[in-house]
Amino acid sequence: MSNVSQVPLEKIDDYRWRIPKSYKPGMRVPGVVYADEKLLKDIQHDKALEQVANVAFLPGIINASLAMPDAHWGYGFCIGGVAATDVESGGVISPAGVGYDINCGVRMLKTNFQYEEIKDKIKDLVYTLFSDIPAGVGSKGDIRVSPREEREILVKGSKWAVEKGYGTQEDLECTEEYGAIQGADPEAVSERAYERGKAQSGTLGSGNHFLEVQVIDQLYDRDLCDEFGLTLGQITVMIHSGSRGLGYQICDDYVKSMIHCLQKYNINVPDRQLACAQVNSSEGKDYLGAMKCAANYAWANRQCLMHLTRRAFERVFNMPWEKMGMHLIYDVAHNIAKIEKHVVDGKEKTLCVHRKGATRAFASGHPALPERYKGTGQPVIIPGDMGRNSYLLVGTQKAMEETFGSTCHGAGRLKSRTAAIKSINLNTLLKELESKGIIVKASGRGTIVEEAPQAYKDVNEVVDVVHNAGISKRVCRMRPLGVIKG
Amino acid sequence: MTGRSGPLAHLVEHLTLNQVVAGSSPAWPTYLMKNYELLEHTADIGIRVKGDDLKGLFRNAALAMFEIIAEEKKPVARKIEKIKIKQRADDIDELFVNWLNELLSLSAAKELIFSDFKIDKLDKNNLQATLIGTNIKNYKVNTEIKAATYHELKIKHGESGWQAEVIFDV
Repeated sequence: MSNVSQVPLEKIDDYRWRIPKSYKPGMRVPGVVYADEKLLKDIQHDKALEQVANVAFLPGIINASLAMPDAHWGYGFCIGGVAATDVESGGVISPAGVGYDINCGVRMLKTNFQYEEIKDKIKDLVYTLFSDIPAGVGSKGDIRVSPREEREILVKGSKWAVEKGYGTQEDLECTEEYGAIQGADPEAVSERAYERGKAQSGTLGSGNHFLEVQVIDQLYDRDLCDEFGLTLGQITVMIHSGSRGLGYQICDDYVKSMIHCLQKYNINVPDRQLACAQVNSSEGKDYLGAMKCAANYAWANRQCLMHLTRRAFERVFNMPWEKMGMHLIYDVAHNIAKIEKHVVDGKEKTLCVHRKGATRAFASGHPALPERYKGTGQPVIIPGDMGRNSYLLVGTQKAMEETFGSTCHGAGRLKSRTAAIKSINLNTLLKELESKGIIVKASGRGTIVEEAPQAYKDVNEVVDVVHNAGISKRVCRMRPLGVIKG
Repeated sequence: MTGRSGPLAHLVEHLTLNQVVAGSSPAWPTYLMKNYELLEHTADIGIRVKGDDLKGLFRNAALAMFEIIAEEKKPVARKIEKIKIKQRADDIDELFVNWLNELLSLSAAKELIFSDFKIDKLDKNNLQATLIGTNIKNYKVNTEIKAATYHELKIKHGESGWQAEVIFDV
């Protein structure tokens, strides 16, 4: 991995680089990478750029295969990859452009608390959250559902949770797709996927998933902060999780079936993991219907996690969550494929937009946004590593024009897990975090080291690029106070 | 990464907690499997695994995968479960990926950790095997592997037997 990528790059401007279409015969469009010179060096350190070029082979791909500044080596697509295909002209959908953790995503909620008011309670709060929220590999939740209910979750998403009393109508408005993407087809989900997903609703999972108590430490756009009701020193919460075993199985089932589509539909891709089928083919439709089920499951899951979070706050502060102002700002998916309308060369087209480690960032006025965010643009939530920062951004018109309304999704990994484990000492790391006022609770000690700040790029640099390139706009920045990990 | 083999979490324990202190639990290295090594990948885990023959390769890959996933807690009375599976595929790459993914899927769905694999029958299109496992409660789970992928998958036969490289999404 220490080899530097040999993929040719042409500088477009300070924040954009092109991989020419001529790099590999078979590329249908060029690649475009959003990065400054410093981040580009990181991206060149692994095989991400090769993957950006590979994605450019997908039939029906429009404009360019895109990589965000947090891009790094994945499998099939790079992480931080965006690709849109033209549905009406044989454009394909690829499970690799979504990933195994379908609708891995993040939500942010605010509170009425100022840091100074509750700083002595943070430890108590973090320990309570850790005990109340099931986390860890294969963790099971207290929110148990019957098989009939599980099918209901796949169609209703967050609405199922709200009907059960785990939230409010307002929460649904503040969730991408209102917490339930239309067109979910439970018939396209295998029995095994149901079996694998059972008992995991309302669980955080492991790896890079987390729940953080944060404090706002920097305001960038005061007008937007006023709109969102956010001030300096305010306590916020961020939840990062996905569709757990159900999503993994759906992805696995459809990679298995789409491997055969490569021959059946005469599709040439340089990596079998990029298995795909036309969106309008029976295989494409089935995958999309199943993927939407997992997406809805993930939204329901994050809704349940937020409910448990509100409950934990209620226990610690002994007052109802409404009184603590624990309103959801927004919930975004960052592993998903969506059928969306975009203007391409002056014409509106129906596209299948893959966001693999990338976030939707729609501009103000977009019809998909709820009334409350029509004026601000879509809130975009960018989590960083456990030692640095996270951000709230909004989508922009430039993102609509250049990136199919997409932006980065996080800091992006820099070091492999093995390299992190070799070079980072757990006790030193915990002391460092403690000295910054960050409490970490994790069910596996290995996770803390694997997810150490040193293993990630600096999210501040990543956000600088998307802001300066104009594909999203900074609203405010948070820093972590308490981190709960699987 | 080269030069060592063993599960990630063991290495964490080794480097940060136990520092090879005799009597620490588990004392490191308690058990090293020599049939695989970890490969560098930014976000995921890759392994290179060997086998004397194709059956050995499939068995060792499965053993390596579950060694990354979990480590056994101190022996407790437990029920051994045996599951027979059949897989069919167009080629050996597909059979290999399907095999590992079927194991991950069954492990999660049945809440079992598999500790051994008897490959009853194997050619490049067909596999029949018996999986031997016990309830996940007997294990400390260290790493969640979501799936085995085709990305950079390499299976080859050389002078010293069979070798495969595979990247897991973790």
